[in-house]
Amino acid sequence: MKAVRSSLGIVAMVLGSMLFPIAGTAGAAPGGAGFPVTVKAANGSVTIAKRPTAIVSLSATATEMLYAIGAGSQVKAVDKYSNYPKGTPMTSLDGYSVNAEAIAKYHPDLIVVAYDPPALAAQLAKLKIPVIYDPAAANLAVAYHQYLGLGAATGHLLGAQREVAHLRTVVTSIVKATPRPPAGTTYYYELDPTYYSVTSGTFMGQLLGLLGLHSIADKAGVNSNGGYPQLTAEFILQANPTYIFLADHGCCKATPATVAARPGWSALSAVANHRIVTLSDDIASRWGPRIVILLQEVANELKRQQG
Amino acid sequence: MTAVRSTAPDAVAAPAPVSAKRPVLIAVVVLIAVALLATAIGPADLSLTTVLQVLASHLPWWHPHGTVTPIDQAIVWEIRLPRVVLGGLVGSMLAAGGASYQGVFRNPLADPYLLGVAAGAGLGATVAIISSSRSMYLLPAAAFVGGALAVTLTYLVGSRATTHSSGSSIVLAGVAIAAVFTALQTNLQQQHAADLQPVYSWILGSLSTASWSDVGLIAPYVLISAVVLLAHRRLLDVLRVGEEEAAALGVHPQRVRLAVVAAATLGTAAAVSVSGLIGFVGIIVPHVVRLTTNASYRVVLPVSMISGASFLILADLGARMLDAPAEVPLGVVTAFIGGPFFIFVLRSRRSHQGVL
Amino acid sequence: MAALAEADYVVELESLSVRYDNTHALRSVSDVVAPGEWLGVIGANGAGKSTLLRALAHLVPYEGVVRIDGANAKPLSRRHFARLVAFVPQKPELPQQMRAIDYVALGRTPHLGYFGVDGEHDRVRCASLLERLGLGAKAERTLATLSGGELQRLVLARALAQEAPVLLLDEPTSALDLGRRVEALELVDELRHERGLTVISALHDLTLAAQFASRLLLLHEGSVVATGGPAEVLDETALGHYFGARVQVLRSSDGELVVIPRRKSERKP
Repeated sequence: MKAVRSSLGIVAMVLGSMLFPIAGTAGAAPGGAGFPVTVKAANGSVTIAKRPTAIVSLSATATEMLYAIGAGSQVKAVDKYSNYPKGTPMTSLDGYSVNAEAIAKYHPDLIVVAYDPPALAAQLAKLKIPVIYDPAAANLAVAYHQYLGLGAATGHLLGAQREVAHLRTVVTSIVKATPRPPAGTTYYYELDPTYYSVTSGTFMGQLLGLLGLHSIADKAGVNSNGGYPQLTAEFILQANPTYIFLADHGCCKATPATVAARPGWSALSAVANHRIVTLSDDIASRWGPRIVILLQEVANELKRQQG
Repeated sequence: MTAVRSTAPDAVAAPAPVSAKRPVLIAVVVLIAVALLATAIGPADLSLTTVLQVLASHLPWWHPHGTVTPIDQAIVWEIRLPRVVLGGLVGSMLAAGGASYQGVFRNPLADPYLLGVAAGAGLGATVAIISSSRSMYLLPAAAFVGGALAVTLTYLVGSRATTHSSGSSIVLAGVAIAAVFTALQTNLQQQHAADLQPVYSWILGSLSTASWSDVGLIAPYVLISAVVLLAHRRLLDVLRVGEEEAAALGVHPQRVRLAVVAAATLGTAAAVSVSGLIGFVGIIVPHVVRLTTNASYRVVLPVSMISGASFLILADLGARMLDAPAEVPLGVVTAFIGGPFFIFVLRSRRSHQGVL
Repeated sequence: MAALAEADYVVELESLSVRYDNTHALRSVSDVVAPGEWLGVIGANGAGKSTLLRALAHLVPYEGVVRIDGANAKPLSRRHFARLVAFVPQKPELPQQMRAIDYVALGRTPHLGYFGVDGEHDRVRCASLLERLGLGAKAERTLATLSGGELQRLVLARALAQEAPVLLLDEPTSALDLGRRVEALELVDELRHERGLTVISALHDLTLAAQFASRLLLLHEGSVVATGGPAEVLDETALGHYFGARVQVLRSSDGELVVIPRRKSERKP
């Protein structure tokens, strides 16, 4: 599931963003499609000699981003988790356990990964194929940088800029249209049925923070377990969060009904007041274009409760 | 032939028989204290009065007025108490299983995982999660089946290996079976890397989602296992003189071993199926008991069972409290408390005489 | 068990053979050991002494028939058999942390049910055995703290706790020094008379065998080559042949036989 993967990614990203504060800045003329181009990603400066036409994406988020900025037709193969948008060239490649040879089979001219297993980058470097490493974004700004980087690398910088501008607008308008919840409104965000959660410091936590919500997990320390602490059940009960967000429906079939059925949980006000929101695991675990859908769902829930 | 029976007994005062009474009594007192402590303390910091009120409200003849909020009520009765009870059951099984395995294989490092219980249960859990979307509910059953399967295979392979089945050939078979199962599990995990966070956290071992239904689920197995193991406590002492002498004393060592291994595996697999793989309890608790009491299994077995419960309840209290409100993996805590304590006990005793 | 004490426990061996893989360790050994007799089994290393004892104890599979008090022993349950025959191995396993009294109590196993635990009656019996063997003061000590001679007596005490009329001893004194050896065999002899035990023992030391056994059985390559009183069996020529050594058999002033090994070569001046 996602917690481990995200937390690994976050750690890597924190390191990455310290070293490369301007990840994804295009080296070529802005808006132009001139190659060669040098972009900065978490793995340093990456030079792409000519417009790639055989991209292999081992990151479900990057796949969504590539299609969103108009580079979809250049994508030759994606990993088995890249299930969106429809019609992606899915393969059995697994972004979390790959070997260089399996990727080389597709003769890629650009590889995008969100997870960098030891030695993979070094092996791919021997194949002389440029690799962009875009790990899980720590916040929206980092995600926007990743768009721009991918845009420059694929000759779609303009598309990327448009997409980023669009996302900014949508996020702002959702936040503006949503009434601020009363101070002290909290949520428990469930990553899996053993109570792994997110703090307000994570990508998801920051997104929900835009709507004025705070995670109960913050009490464990915002950076506890990389922002993804496992909470104790009795703490969740005592914290009595206003909302419960379930990001473990897809993996583990958690629903408002199963949550209410947990021993002792019926005493929670979120259960009594039907403030349990089931989120799509896929959207919730990615930092791509569909985050606005998730944001809208939560915003609708806030409006429903207050309106 | 006169007098095989003619020994005049009256003249001689019998030395005190191996008495389990005092050590058992002490262990029970410790267990009660630990259980009360673990029920009183938790990340949700409730007052002792609240906890006592909740506990009292479940006494059949007590009907207090509702001064406790439903949430506090739920925290104590639905979350904290089942966790303490489940921790006790799991700990007692792991410790009793360890003591029993060490007895039948006469190997001080034998523990419930030796014959492949852990590897089998891990594979079972992994298969369940990969093959079913309702995995979280099937996981305990699958882990149980996997653990029992691995031990059965170990036994078949081990007893085929030599005609006169010796303890060591079965232990070796266990190592081999465990290696194969672990390889299969790792391979599956690799292939389904993104789906396996539940397996990962299960393997680490945790009582974080303990409920009364978990308690109800394993209680029957724990009960059967405990009764069978305790009933064998004297025969475990007989096995300490080795296969051949045990046979000369009228015992079938293989049968005893099979019965004990079956019971210990049943209990361990049941415990592991709800708690995940919690290491160390099965080795450390019996050895500490052995070093601090008389080494007879009549004492070691019941006292290990009770102390195992205390140990795990205490370790789980650590798991809940050390980084509250976040959890610390239980396996980490058991190793952290257990390791140094074990070293302390070993060093403070003259242990050159061997521990079995 | 009342019948036990009154019966005469004759041990009959009928064409007893033991095969390890394809080699015969024991070839068709037949003998009748009278009640109360002490049969000393002698022979060179590898002659089959231990195998004979272990077959009698039903610890190795054998062909042929063993009868205890006229009854075929093979179909008996292990527990039943252990009430008839007690076996002391050459190198007993001695759990270091076990207390002496608990060790002796293991001998009560065949008298208890599968899940049985020894009661007061068993305890008293074991305690008096320890007293009898001079270990009364050591009852609560662990085996690790006992001397070699004490351990030897303790092992004997465990075998006696079985209250079996037949006692099998495989080289009972091999681990002891000279003084302790005689002491241990004296004890066995006393107990034999006291309790009417039938004793069958493998013995390494021919002089001691001659002094304690009522009858000797000489084995060579798994077969019986001589049996009878010590004076008959301990023949210089036969021993020289079967042990592959020069020996001299002397009769001491009090009439006991003494077997002395001699060097083969002449002493060079």
